[in-house]
Amino acid sequence: MAALSIENVKKSYGSTQVLKGINIDIEKGEFLVLIGPSGCGKSTMMNSIAGLESITEGRILIGGEDVTHANPKDRDIAMVFQSYALYPNMTVRGNISFGLEVRKMPKPEREKQVQKVAQLLQIEHLLERKPAQLSGGQRQRVAMGRALAREPKIYLFDEPLSNLDAKLRVEMRAEIKKLHQRLGTTIVYVTHDQVEAMTLADRIAVMRDGLLQQLASPQEIYDRPANTFVAGFMGSPPMNFIDVTIDSSDSLTINAGQQQYQLPLPQGYDLSNYVGKSVILGIRPEMITEPVQHKAGLPEVAVLKLKTLLTEAMGADTMVLTQLGDKELNCRINPSHSVEINQHSEFMFDMSKAVFFDAQTEVLI
Amino acid sequence: MKQSYNLNINADATKNLSLLDSVKNKANRYLQQRSILQHLLRIVLYVILLTMAFIYLAPLLVMVMNSLKDVEEIRNGSLLALPQDPSLAAWSKAWGSACTGSTCEGIAPFFINSFKIVLPAVAISTILGALNGYVLSMWRFKGSDLFFGLLLFGCFIPFQVVLIPMAMTLGWLGLASSASGLILVHVIYGMAFTTLFFRNYYVGLPRELVSAAKIDGAGFFLIFWRIILPLSPPIIVVTVIWQFTQIWNDFLFGVVFSGADNLPVTVALNNLVNTSFGGKEYNVDMAAALLAALPTIVVYVFAGKYFVRGLSAGAVKGA
Repeated sequence: MAALSIENVKKSYGSTQVLKGINIDIEKGEFLVLIGPSGCGKSTMMNSIAGLESITEGRILIGGEDVTHANPKDRDIAMVFQSYALYPNMTVRGNISFGLEVRKMPKPEREKQVQKVAQLLQIEHLLERKPAQLSGGQRQRVAMGRALAREPKIYLFDEPLSNLDAKLRVEMRAEIKKLHQRLGTTIVYVTHDQVEAMTLADRIAVMRDGLLQQLASPQEIYDRPANTFVAGFMGSPPMNFIDVTIDSSDSLTINAGQQQYQLPLPQGYDLSNYVGKSVILGIRPEMITEPVQHKAGLPEVAVLKLKTLLTEAMGADTMVLTQLGDKELNCRINPSHSVEINQHSEFMFDMSKAVFFDAQTEVLI
Repeated sequence: MKQSYNLNINADATKNLSLLDSVKNKANRYLQQRSILQHLLRIVLYVILLTMAFIYLAPLLVMVMNSLKDVEEIRNGSLLALPQDPSLAAWSKAWGSACTGSTCEGIAPFFINSFKIVLPAVAISTILGALNGYVLSMWRFKGSDLFFGLLLFGCFIPFQVVLIPMAMTLGWLGLASSASGLILVHVIYGMAFTTLFFRNYYVGLPRELVSAAKIDGAGFFLIFWRIILPLSPPIIVVTVIWQFTQIWNDFLFGVVFSGADNLPVTVALNNLVNTSFGGKEYNVDMAAALLAALPTIVVYVFAGKYFVRGLSAGAVKGA
C-alpha cells in the first residue's frame, strides 16, 4: 500500500488551473522530490497534501485513507517551511513540543521526545533559547526537530534549504539525507534546486505548468529525460540541443549553416522510424570533451573542430562554450587541457549517452 | 585598466602624493563649510520646534496657572500672570463640591461613571478588534477583503449621522439611557478602528506561523491564544491607548445615550462650566477640565513610548 497517493488532483483559482491532474504514488520510506520552475504548481501540490489548501478535483490518500477533505491536523503529516515558521514567542523546547502538547501527550513523554529529537539534531544546548537568538542553520534544525518530534506518517519539506548560505546548504543537505537513511521516513520535498533534487531523491517528480513531466529516479531523469523541458531543467549547465537529420541506422548529420558535421548514433537506440527526418539531439556537456586517448576510435565517438567562444574554469573541470554553426554548445573539458579563445580546436563527442527528441512534440524518442 | 593605473602611481609616487594632499585639503574645506551650514540648519530646526511646542503647550500652561489662583485674582489681574498665592482650593472644589446642574458633588461621581463606561468598552472593542483582525488576516474567506473594506466605512462615518438610528436600536434592545447601552455604542463605533489596527498588524506576521500551528494540530482559538496573541502586545497598547482616549473624551454619545444616572465626566464638565451662581469661577472650571483630561494624559505618559513603537512595529524577528 502506498504511503501517499495523489490521484488525478486538480486545482483551480477561478479560471486559472494550477494543477491539471497530477498522479503520484509514494511508497513507505521513499524520498520524493517535487521540482520545477516557479509557478509550476509544486508548492500548491505540497500545500494540498498538507491540507492547507483544498483541491478542486481528485483524491489524496495517506496510508490508504482518503484525506482529501481532512483538516491538516488529522492527516498525520509534519511540514518544514521555507521560512521555518518557528513560533517567535516560544523557546526551542516550546516549539518542538507544541505539537505534542496540542495532541495531549503527557508531559514526561513529551520531555523525553524533545530530548531525543534535540539529541538527534544536536540542538540540546539551544533548547531554552528563542528563535530570534538562533542562526539560520540552527533555526533550520529546530524546524526539522519540530517536524520529527511528532513522528508522523509523512514529512513535507517546502524548500527548506533555500534561506541558507551555500556552505550550510550543502551541510544540511547531507544531514537530511543521513536522517532519511537512519529513520526511513517518507518524505515529500519541494525544491527548485536541481542539485538538491538529484542528491536527495529516490524519485524525482518534475513539474511544469501544473502537469507532471516525468516521475523517475534521478539517474533515469538525468539519462533519459522524458522531454526537452526535463532535459533542459535538470543538469547544469543544461543539456545541449542540436537539430539533426538521421541519415541511416548508424549516423546523423548536423546542418549548421554551410557546414555539415557527421556524428555516429548511439548503439541500441532505435531510430529506424526517423531515418531521413529531423530530430533534436540532446547531449550533456560532459559528453563533449577534449580528445581523450582511451576513447579514440570507439564506434560511438567522433571528433569535431569547433570554435571556442568562452571558457569558465570551475576547478574540477573547465566549461567551454563553443560554436557549432549558429548554435552554442556547452562542453566540459579537463582543466589541464587548454583551448584558445576564438580558435578552432578539436572536441570529442561521446554519443553513447545521447538522447533524441521528436522535433514536433519534443518528447523523448 | 586597473593594472596600468596602479603602475602609474608607483612610477611617480611623490607627484601623486602631493596631488593626494591637495585633494585632501579641498575635501576638508568642503566638509568644514558643510558642517557650519548643517549647524545653522540644526539651530533653525530647534527654534521652530521649540516655538511650535510652546504654542501647543501655552493653553495648558494658562489653565494650570489659573487653576491655582483664586477667582478674585483672575478677575483683577491678567489671565497670563503667574499665581501670586498658589492654592489647590479650586481643584478640591472642582473634584468634590462644584455644582454640575442640580447636584453639587463636584465631578468625582462622574469620573467613576466614565471609568465604568470606558473600561468595559475599551476591553470589549479591543478583544473584538483582535479577533476580527486575526480572521481577516489569517483565516481569509471569500469576500473577506470586501468585508474589511465595508467595516472600514465605520472609521469615516461621523458620530452625528448614527445618533438617531443608534437611539432607535438601543430602544429596541431595551438599553436606552443605560451604561450598557453607551458601552455598546462605543464598542460598535470603536470596532472599525480596532479591527483596522489589528488586521494591519497581523498582515505583517508570516502566515506560515498559522499553517505550522494548524499542522501541529492547533485550532482557531488555540492558535490565537498561544501563537498570535503573545506577538500582539505592541498593537494591543496602541489600540488600548487609542480607544481609551477616544471613549474617555467622547461627549456627544455620552450626552445623548447615557441617561441622567450615568453621565460621563465630559458631560459633567460641560454642566459644571455652564452652571453658575453669580460670577464665573474660571479657576474651578480650569481645574475641572484638567482633572477630566488627567486619565488620558497619564495613559499617554506611561504607555506613550509603546504607542510610538507599536505604530512602527510589525516585523517579527526569528519567525
